[in-house]
Amino acid sequence: MKKKRTASKILWVLSILTLIFLWAPMILIIVFSFSNNKYGSSWEGFTLKWYLKLFTNDQVRDALMRSLIIAGVTVVIATLIGTITAYGLYKLNFKGKQFLRTSILLPIVFPSVVTGSALLVFFTRFLHIPLGYPSIIIAHIVFCSPLAVFIILGRMQRFDWSWEEAALDLGATPFRTFLRVTGPQLLPAIMASAMLIFPWSFDDFVITYFVAGVGSTTLPIYVFSQLRFGATPVINTIGTLFVSVTMLGLLLVYLMQKRTKTGS
Amino acid sequence: MPVLDEVPASQSQAKKREKRKLALDMTAYLSPIIIIVVVFVFAPLAIILFFSFLKSGPYGEIIYTFTFENVGAMLGGGYGKIFLQSVYLAFQTNFLCILFGYPIAYYITRFGGKWKTLWIFMIIVPSWSSYLIRLYALKTLVGTKGTINSLLINLGIISEPIQILYTNFAVTMALVFAWLPFMILPIYAALEGLDRSVLEAATDLGATPFRRFFRVTLPLTRGGLLAGSILVFIPTVGEWLVPSIFGGSKIMMAGSLVAHKFTAVGNIPQGSSLAIMLAATLILILYLTIKWGGREALEKAL
Repeated sequence: MKKKRTASKILWVLSILTLIFLWAPMILIIVFSFSNNKYGSSWEGFTLKWYLKLFTNDQVRDALMRSLIIAGVTVVIATLIGTITAYGLYKLNFKGKQFLRTSILLPIVFPSVVTGSALLVFFTRFLHIPLGYPSIIIAHIVFCSPLAVFIILGRMQRFDWSWEEAALDLGATPFRTFLRVTGPQLLPAIMASAMLIFPWSFDDFVITYFVAGVGSTTLPIYVFSQLRFGATPVINTIGTLFVSVTMLGLLLVYLMQKRTKTGS
Repeated sequence: MPVLDEVPASQSQAKKREKRKLALDMTAYLSPIIIIVVVFVFAPLAIILFFSFLKSGPYGEIIYTFTFENVGAMLGGGYGKIFLQSVYLAFQTNFLCILFGYPIAYYITRFGGKWKTLWIFMIIVPSWSSYLIRLYALKTLVGTKGTINSLLINLGIISEPIQILYTNFAVTMALVFAWLPFMILPIYAALEGLDRSVLEAATDLGATPFRRFFRVTLPLTRGGLLAGSILVFIPTVGEWLVPSIFGGSKIMMAGSLVAHKFTAVGNIPQGSSLAIMLAATLILILYLTIKWGGREALEKAL
């Protein structure tokens, strides 16, 4: 018994050290976002001036708006495509299905630099699409839709399909069945995919950097450009807000799951 | 016997109708994704494959003559070495993530108790936070003017800042820092799914805890290790941000090489050939993964 306790203590120490490794840098920038130091890398007394600077910074506001618009459009389109594709892949049997599934995996597993550079060359040398919103949104849909497909497909496999059969047997048209029975049942899966895709699209730096062209600064691109000029405390504030929003979002998901569990 | 003759005819008609319905359904459900895959994945790849056999002029323009120059440069020059180094770094990262990730996943499963949710929360948050911001935060900590150095100087332990950035150590640390959560979570899921009675049986039959871990627990959580390795290894091979922030020009990886050729040098043919090489490397890895671990493991990992 005593041996077990020492084993658990050693594991506890290792786990805490790992957690510190994962969190120390984040906690540091959160602390420094309230520090007076103008390089944002040491503590010189409490201030909120960097937050004030952040909220009055037009560049940041523009970049944030751009990122939100791109992520919003991407989530809607990618989730829509993901839902109907997953439904098709689940229901239909045809030759080449495995090949199609593997092809859909490609944009997810390809390194972002490959996807980004291939799309850049494709857009500028072949399609002649203007770089900016169109190219960024297309690129985001390309790497987000496959993710939506597999998230929703995964949930469909644990699904009770008898409701749909019942509706069809009782004479509902396929469209009506989807709208009234299958769709609402799929809603949690669709929500889950949207919740995952939004940060994916919002945070993406590499692919966006390739296809953005000049003047379409998204928030991650803004952060990256500031890094080049040397760190500023404003990035600390952006980082702090990022982590806070992530935590709030996750907390919300957790509470929602808990409520539906106790509710049913 | 006219009646019997009619049956096959109507059957083939039904089959035809079914086939037409399948084609219609496929168009309805699958055409958007097929357009995405064909037009925006395969076609761009084909184009950069084509460009990789061309030459770049002195001002970054593309000269339309067929050449094996880029392929030759890759196999002969230092590029091949950088590719090997990327694969090596990915292996190393993967191994270190298992080494650090397994104990914490094991601890949470066995001894997490009422804090389990909090532990998992603390691991999920970093995996969801902005990747770029996390790397920036790490740089704030270890940079030349970073917190660790200024703290040590202020305490009088060192007089000159320690050079942590732009070393192999920094790149490895940043890679592990970035990808560790993606290893912990699948291992944790696998450990949670473990049947406790199997472990009890092993103990009852006289296995030492050590032996039990290596002969029972570890093999039974292979699925989680595989899923975690897919999530860590594949993106690490093509990494760009970590080597560019923490390796500078000293430690290059395949991804940073591609990005460098496209964004800094502007040599599209050379960049294309490197990107094709990287894509080919990844397809090979993907093929091996599916062969060894099965497609389910790959799709489940996502």
